[in-house]
Amino acid sequence: MNTTAAPLLELRHVTQRFSGLVAVADVSFSLAPGEILGLIGPNGAGKTTLINLISGTLRPTEGEVLFDGAAVTPLPAFRRARLGVGRTFQIMQPFPGLSVLDNVAIGALFGHGGGQAQLAKAREQARQSLEFVGLGSFADQRADELGGPGRKRLELAKALAMKPRLLLCDEVMAGLNHVEIEEVIAVIRKVREQGIGVLVIEHVIKAIRSLSDRLLVLHHGQKIADGTPDAVLADPTVVQAYLGKKHA
Amino acid sequence: MKTWRAWAVVIAFLAMAGVPWYGSDVLVQFGINALLLAVLAQGWNIIGGYTGYPSFGNSVFYGLGSYGVAIAMVQWHLPFEVGMLFGVLLAVAFALLLGVPVLRLRGHYFAIATLALAGVMAAIVSNIPLAGQNIGLVLPPLNDDRLFYGLALGLLALSTLVVWWLTKSRFGFGLIAIRENEDGAAVMGVNTTAYKVAAFTISGALSSMAGGIHAYWITFLDPESAFDISLNVKMIIMAVFGGAGTVFGPIIGAFSLSAVSEWLSSEVTSIASLFFGAVIVAAVVFMPHGLTHLAARIRRLGWRYFGENVRENRL
Amino acid sequence: MELLAQVLVNGLLLGGLYAVMALGLALVWGVLNIVNLAHGSFIMLGAYCSWHLFHYLHVDPFLGLPLTAAVMFALGYAVQRGILNLIVRAPMFNTLLLTFGLDVVLTYLAQLAFSADFRTINPGYAGHQWHWGAMVLPAVRVAAFGAALVLTLGMWLFLLHTRLGRAIRATAQNLVAARLYGVEPRHLYAMTFAIGVALAGTAGGLYGTVSQINPYIGASLTLKSFAIAIIGGLDNPLGVLVGGLFLGVIESLTILYIGPTFVDVASFGILALVLIVRPTGLLGKTA
Repeated sequence: MNTTAAPLLELRHVTQRFSGLVAVADVSFSLAPGEILGLIGPNGAGKTTLINLISGTLRPTEGEVLFDGAAVTPLPAFRRARLGVGRTFQIMQPFPGLSVLDNVAIGALFGHGGGQAQLAKAREQARQSLEFVGLGSFADQRADELGGPGRKRLELAKALAMKPRLLLCDEVMAGLNHVEIEEVIAVIRKVREQGIGVLVIEHVIKAIRSLSDRLLVLHHGQKIADGTPDAVLADPTVVQAYLGKKHA
Repeated sequence: MKTWRAWAVVIAFLAMAGVPWYGSDVLVQFGINALLLAVLAQGWNIIGGYTGYPSFGNSVFYGLGSYGVAIAMVQWHLPFEVGMLFGVLLAVAFALLLGVPVLRLRGHYFAIATLALAGVMAAIVSNIPLAGQNIGLVLPPLNDDRLFYGLALGLLALSTLVVWWLTKSRFGFGLIAIRENEDGAAVMGVNTTAYKVAAFTISGALSSMAGGIHAYWITFLDPESAFDISLNVKMIIMAVFGGAGTVFGPIIGAFSLSAVSEWLSSEVTSIASLFFGAVIVAAVVFMPHGLTHLAARIRRLGWRYFGENVRENRL
Repeated sequence: MELLAQVLVNGLLLGGLYAVMALGLALVWGVLNIVNLAHGSFIMLGAYCSWHLFHYLHVDPFLGLPLTAAVMFALGYAVQRGILNLIVRAPMFNTLLLTFGLDVVLTYLAQLAFSADFRTINPGYAGHQWHWGAMVLPAVRVAAFGAALVLTLGMWLFLLHTRLGRAIRATAQNLVAARLYGVEPRHLYAMTFAIGVALAGTAGGLYGTVSQINPYIGASLTLKSFAIAIIGGLDNPLGVLVGGLFLGVIESLTILYIGPTFVDVASFGILALVLIVRPTGLLGKTA
């Protein structure tokens, strides 16, 4: 991994307060292009809030978010998308009335750099995205007819069609079986090979350990560990806070 | 579009275009009314059907267009075309200035806000001397129904082309994305605020032109008729009944409902509005997805289609 | 200064009446999540009901209010049970559209039945006035205000201290919880809407004593009720009272300082403003 390259994503002392509740407390970290950073922690630790802060759905109470070295903190979500931030949603958010293809085409039409101007080109790009995640044969179905695993992949395909430089994955493996998890891991590795930085939130420890280059642990909104998966998972603070006595 | 559909559209258009020649005076007048209502329905379709922001106050644009033409022609002695342009400018200004704050509201709050704004504008205009206050204005007469029919038809064609373009363009897809999932659209790169305001503005511009044509045709307007709230009722039910979010739905809704209303009016006077109200109630209960949806499903389900709709939504 | 005081008093008296108008709307909206665009029409029908009781049966408009309330209650129950219950689980837009259509139907039925002539309810004591210092207090307006206060307080007590009232409030939270009170949901919904319409009708009966009625007064009253309900909050009858008084005073001040033709501009303008600035209301919770 090239540690001398400028970080793709950097958070500096980011804090998020919701009228009395501190969801994220003074979190700082960075992510390099082509790096897979895992983010784990108990429920309610602030992981999705963190993703919302990076994607622009939320503005932090304090701190800065930098993308490619430039501060994006004041920018709304759609501008960050145009700069190359793509994300999936934990609670899947398809465009229900549209076909699977058109769902993904939206990503191609509006993503990184403003996307495609032509619908036809966007649809082509969407097909490629669908093939990439293995949903190629479902292109013309209605999005709300897909099952759970299919929807997870649709989330990925939509984000990838944006041609992002940073991909934020919020629990894309939840509810999947072993085989499906392996398939998702393979897709994320392919994504990384294209030089895209990936931040993955997961609860499936085995998967995230093998996938991540680095692991971040969040607890009560604070970062309590940041290092290689093996080091982090052996860290006693992490074990106590999150893993309990039986950790994978 | 499938070939037979394209042919159907062309034939229908030609048939409609020919009415001033082969139709009676009554038919031409019915046509003008129906065409203008269809324009309003298409205008609503853009902001309500495609963007998912149901405006209950689009009558305000109609009124602004009417008064634009009336003031320009009566007070400033300008030609009709300039009046139309003025009306469009008023509508665009309104949509841009008030659209931004109002479009931040979602769902029923947006609906009520647009209703309130329509009420405010009507009340304001009835206090403006330039607009003739409560008495209204009388325009120079022009007795050429054929011309008005042609203008109305042309405007409907333009509106329909705009809606058709929405289904094929990046802008239109952005609107649909906003309708289906606004937050999801934003994180995918859609500038939701700009797009919503643009849709509202286009909707307003088309509606204002309908108002302008109507004003010149009728040669008289006052705040009550120009900003008639029941227009909102009509345009929404026409779009929804025909099929909101489709290209031809609003046109079908406008013509079919206008025809029935006209027929009913000839049997029982002044029953038109009552009719529309009753249609809305029945349609919302039994066929909330519109005619196009009905046509698609009724072959399979028959009468059960209506029962299904009720079962889905009842307490 | 005296003129201002008089105007303020006028505004408060009117505002109490407005509050009763909005009470039914707030109840139905807060509990059933039904945004009733036909609300003003029910007020109008209540006014006509009182008018007919007065004109044909010589029932005093204030003493006859319970009768009007009962008639409107029955109407509201039928409408909810027969029509609105059928679309309760549909998207909100459907409810808006349906009540919009209902509003049109009721308005035109009223026009067919009662003609478009203006009417008022003029009991014998209509011209009577009380004097307090330099201020003139028309008896009818004071009585209407008094009735409004009683109704608002009654509503508040009902929601808090009766079993049905608490069941209704529980429904606002959770339909299952309401079942625990032993009331069947469809009946509960119909009762709630019926109470809302009864309140609207009663307000209409009061309105008829202080202002002119015709079939078209509904639309404007609906918007005013919305303004008040949103300002006051949907779960708080006292908040609605404050909202009503506020709107009444604003309208009075508008008449004094700007002109009577600007009243609608003021009240609809306030509605638009409140929605834009703080749709979550100023005093209570929102739906």
